[in-house]
Amino acid sequence: MTAIEADLATMSTQESTSTPPAETSGRGEFPLHLVLFTIGIIVSTPIIVAIFTSFTSLNRILADPNSIWSAPWTFENYVSAWTATPFGRFMINSFIQTGIITIAQVTFSILAGFAFAIFRFPGRNILFGIVLGSLMVPFELTFIPNFILISNLGWANTYQGLTIPFLASAFGVFMLRQFFMALPRDLYEAAKIDGASDWYYLWRIMVPLSKGAISALTIFSFLGAWNQYLWPLVITNEESMRTAQIGIRFFMANQERAFDWGAIMAGATIVMLPTLLVFLVAQKQLVKGIAMSGLKG
Amino acid sequence: MVVLAIFVYWPIVESLRLSLNRVAPFGNAEIFVGLDQYTRLLTSGEFWNNVLVSIYFMLGTVPVGIGLAVVIALLLSYPVRRLSWAHRMLIFVPVVISSAVAGVLFRWLYNPVVGHINTWLGAFGIDGPNWLNTRTWALFAVTVAVVWRQLGFNVIIALAGLQQIDDSYYDAAKVDGAGTWDRIRYVTLPLLSPTLLFLVVINVIISFQAFGEIDILTMGGPGQATENLVYSVFVDGFVGTRFRGLASAQAFLLALLVMGVSFVQFRGFRSRVHYG
Repeated sequence: MTAIEADLATMSTQESTSTPPAETSGRGEFPLHLVLFTIGIIVSTPIIVAIFTSFTSLNRILADPNSIWSAPWTFENYVSAWTATPFGRFMINSFIQTGIITIAQVTFSILAGFAFAIFRFPGRNILFGIVLGSLMVPFELTFIPNFILISNLGWANTYQGLTIPFLASAFGVFMLRQFFMALPRDLYEAAKIDGASDWYYLWRIMVPLSKGAISALTIFSFLGAWNQYLWPLVITNEESMRTAQIGIRFFMANQERAFDWGAIMAGATIVMLPTLLVFLVAQKQLVKGIAMSGLKG
Repeated sequence: MVVLAIFVYWPIVESLRLSLNRVAPFGNAEIFVGLDQYTRLLTSGEFWNNVLVSIYFMLGTVPVGIGLAVVIALLLSYPVRRLSWAHRMLIFVPVVISSAVAGVLFRWLYNPVVGHINTWLGAFGIDGPNWLNTRTWALFAVTVAVVWRQLGFNVIIALAGLQQIDDSYYDAAKVDGAGTWDRIRYVTLPLLSPTLLFLVVINVIISFQAFGEIDILTMGGPGQATENLVYSVFVDGFVGTRFRGLASAQAFLLALLVMGVSFVQFRGFRSRVHYG
């Protein structure tokens, strides 16, 4: 595309002449491919090692760690992880917790973002300032009082306790407000003249037009909720209410004494599987969303 | 709104109140002790150890993490036609991994006997250390895990920043006879500076909040070699005998530290950031 990129290619091929990218042949790209592929493999090594380990029998893992790279493969680690600890229960807990948080954050963000973008009501700027300000409050400042509050309400070890503090997302409200504001106001006025209600306009016109931003927010919320660690760790102490992330922590602590790394890696693979699937399916929206929020910041 | 008010704003006040009170060892009576807990912290070696760990941790993760991300993003910004999706996939993937899973994966890699890192080192005749149980290596090991988990995010942001830079700047520099490094030094990096500022601020905040990897890899140990402020808040507030007041006071100081550092960054960088 540009000179610098051509130069990068030159750098990596160690050639002294710069090749215009437009004319680059597949052969000229090969060294760059090699460099990028090597970096990619190094970066994903921890995940690759975990997945291969999870399919290798424990005896072979402990005899020679490198045996994970060759057959025979086996499912026995998954069976022993699944039977040794209620992973099914942890996954269901995580899905319920993540589902509630994601749906609530996206819905609230759409409604509040719409209100802040379209309606002119007294105190709007003050309210929006309060929403924005909460983005700057560090999490560690709030979590002890929140813990005490939730415990006093008797919500420790419940889905309410896991989800209620996270039902609204200031980031989501801000993101969607910015997006809704970018749509022309004439569109709103025109819809009004045609007799559309605000409700109709929001769900039938604005939301479909903002599909990209809303799906990015949905992915963020999902990943954020699924990967939560500190809060579920302190708010649950019964095994039956643990989320997948907390489950794998205690599972590892127990199995490590038995050196059962095969089962631990099987557990880790189960826990990261949903997020890996989201990554495979929605890589584009996720990357676009992150890039968008970075450029705004 | 209500949720934000109850779970974000009210706790700030409550946090301050807790930090000024001490719960009597027996029973639940709260005793107002003023700034006692703050003076106790500020005069304790343990607290300063935790502050230092947080700062070392920031110095270890932020420059390396962002440096790696910019180099990889520069390489990725070259438009290869085939297979680019595969490279991106492999490089971006840590972005979806949780701190807990990252901790578990690295604990396996670091295993002194059958872990892959020491096996690979052994292939080169190097006797790898017991990473997580050695004072000198533990902090390094945790730093690597956190840099790894952040890498995908940082590369995505850096790449987006690079793609914002207009080609005409490079063409102009080329006409003026600037070489590759000159162009990276005098064109790319200055024009990337808003993105870099964003990355620095975000990564500093994330490094101060690192918790999951520490909890799973070292639990703050050995000794307190990897116990940062967040971990200390957790230990004092939730493990064994609970000192919620003391934990709240530390949380408050941590928050001040994070906000102070962010403020200094904005002030310090403002004059040096170029908006294209």
